[in-house]
Amino acid sequence: MTAPLVIGSVAYSPNVVPIWEGMRDYFAGTSTPIDFVMYSNYGRQVDALISGSLDLAWNTNLAWVRTVAQTDSACRALASRDTDLIFTTVFVARSGSGFTSLESLRGRRLVLGSRDSAQAAILPVHFLREAGLSEGDVNLTRIDSDVGKHGDTGRSELDALRAVLDDRADAAAIGINTWQAIGRGELLPGAFESFWTSPEYSHCTFTAMPSLEVERADPWVANLLAMDWENPQHRPILEMEGLQAWVPPRLEGYASLVKAVSEQGITARW
Amino acid sequence: MVIPRTPVSPPSAAPSAMGVVLDLIEGIGRVPTGGMATVALDAANRIAALDLVVAWCASSGNEIVSVEGLTVTVRHGRSPDPLAQLDPAQVPGSRVWVYTNFDCNLACDYCCVRSSPKAERRAIGAERLQQIASEAAAAGVGELILTGGEPFLLNDLDALVNSCTDELPTTLLTNGMLFRGARLERLRRMDRSRLTLQVSVDSATPGIHDSHRGTGSWAKAVDGIRIAHDEGFRVKVAATLPADQMHELDPFHSFLDTIGISREDQVIRALAHRGVADSGIELTVDSLIPEVTITADGVYWHPVAADHDAQFVTRDIFPLADAIAEITRRFVAHRRAADSAAEWFPCA
Ligand code: SF4
Repeated sequence: MTAPLVIGSVAYSPNVVPIWEGMRDYFAGTSTPIDFVMYSNYGRQVDALISGSLDLAWNTNLAWVRTVAQTDSACRALASRDTDLIFTTVFVARSGSGFTSLESLRGRRLVLGSRDSAQAAILPVHFLREAGLSEGDVNLTRIDSDVGKHGDTGRSELDALRAVLDDRADAAAIGINTWQAIGRGELLPGAFESFWTSPEYSHCTFTAMPSLEVERADPWVANLLAMDWENPQHRPILEMEGLQAWVPPRLEGYASLVKAVSEQGITARW
Repeated sequence: MVIPRTPVSPPSAAPSAMGVVLDLIEGIGRVPTGGMATVALDAANRIAALDLVVAWCASSGNEIVSVEGLTVTVRHGRSPDPLAQLDPAQVPGSRVWVYTNFDCNLACDYCCVRSSPKAERRAIGAERLQQIASEAAAAGVGELILTGGEPFLLNDLDALVNSCTDELPTTLLTNGMLFRGARLERLRRMDRSRLTLQVSVDSATPGIHDSHRGTGSWAKAVDGIRIAHDEGFRVKVAATLPADQMHELDPFHSFLDTIGISREDQVIRALAHRGVADSGIELTVDSLIPEVTITADGVYWHPVAADHDAQFVTRDIFPLADAIAEITRRFVAHRRAADSAAEWFPCA
């Protein structure tokens, strides 16, 4: 029997175990069985990948960018969720607050998620900078409720929204997934509205070191991409993981984060 | 787990109601699919917050399990579809039972609907049975099952049965004791290709059978099976046994083999605690998978409880599809409630 590929994942929610058990069951029926190892944060996971105790790591965009930096671009991205290729950051405020653009945040209070959340902290600062606003131009509050998980739990984003509801901030920058989770402002008209949505960027991706031979990686990717939303056995796993199809990664989608990380002097290690 | 609300002083009701959704997303995120999260509503805007929780659950694919005062319990994800867990033959409406009359030439001590020679006839009637058969066929029902009391007491049974077999495969339950004279002629006019007879025989020898059903009844039933076979009908045997005899079935099966009943037509079930039976397993709406059952009085949950108020579903037999839908809806609701109770009180 082929030795299973060992995949690392961060335990950001209790559903991570059923997701990976489902994935392991699926791959047990393929030519490329897998096993998984859970980490409490992305720093540990990337260390394990680089040191060779993992074949693959299921990384967020920040974990991918940091792995690239630590490996001199030797690592490879193998696959992402369809939803990872079209990720955006949404700036939201209380309905009727009158924000029309990033420029209108000048002098106002913006709340950000955990400092290592790409979608709710690092990229928002980058987008402000691109709009001509430096950190001093906007009154920034950071909510570090889930550092290490790169915004995966979204808890810091929920806390940011609470700050807006409680009038401790005028606006919040959150990931599109959190915006969707609260119903995109349609659930309760009069609570939140979005006033700016970022260009699309890439989010999570399976990351491999060059030591993983192409002969092992390629059939595994082919089996992954073969998971089918219409197949009742595959569907619950895909639903829990938040995708309809696994797809090849879109590397250009990481350019904005690479730039943001370098502008903000974010280190390659944790 | 009750997730505490951060105190807010809302300038308007809408944003503060929104807080409960943030609490809910966080709570749901902390439990795996199938787990429960509980949120507390603000007393000041309970209705608005509850509306919002309902809307959020509908749009996000989660499910409200209970609302008690200011506490709402939500399941992460939806509970599994109870219908999908059933064998296709068990899906409500896959077959329909009809009680044709209720009176009977026997007075068995376990009769689940208290039939006897003294029981008042409550006949479904030719017109209603014809409509049931045609609506059943249109509603996708696969089989009709006719039961008495003893249907062969009816003078128009051949016409009744033919109106059913014209639409669907049909099984006719009988004690098999009346196949003589005009009644035998009626049997002969039925459609052998679409009708199965089901005769009750409770034991391999007369003793046990006769003790419940009356002296001489075993011999007549076995003779009735022979007549039906001679007339070219398929015969099933249904036996009703006390639960403590369910483990001694081999001699019984061997006997049924000798009288020409194929193994797939040997149906042995445990005695139900209904009607005049004074012992038996408890059958309740919660524990019984429904079998749509129609009597002259209306629609019931299951044939073993067709005189039991707790299992009465509706007086309206027609449209039959609506009656089937109502039973299906109640079944799903019972199963969901039972599932959530099971999750709340796990066995250690
Ligand atoms: S069990 Fe059947 S045969 Fe016996 S009394 Fe009831 S209806 Fe008649």
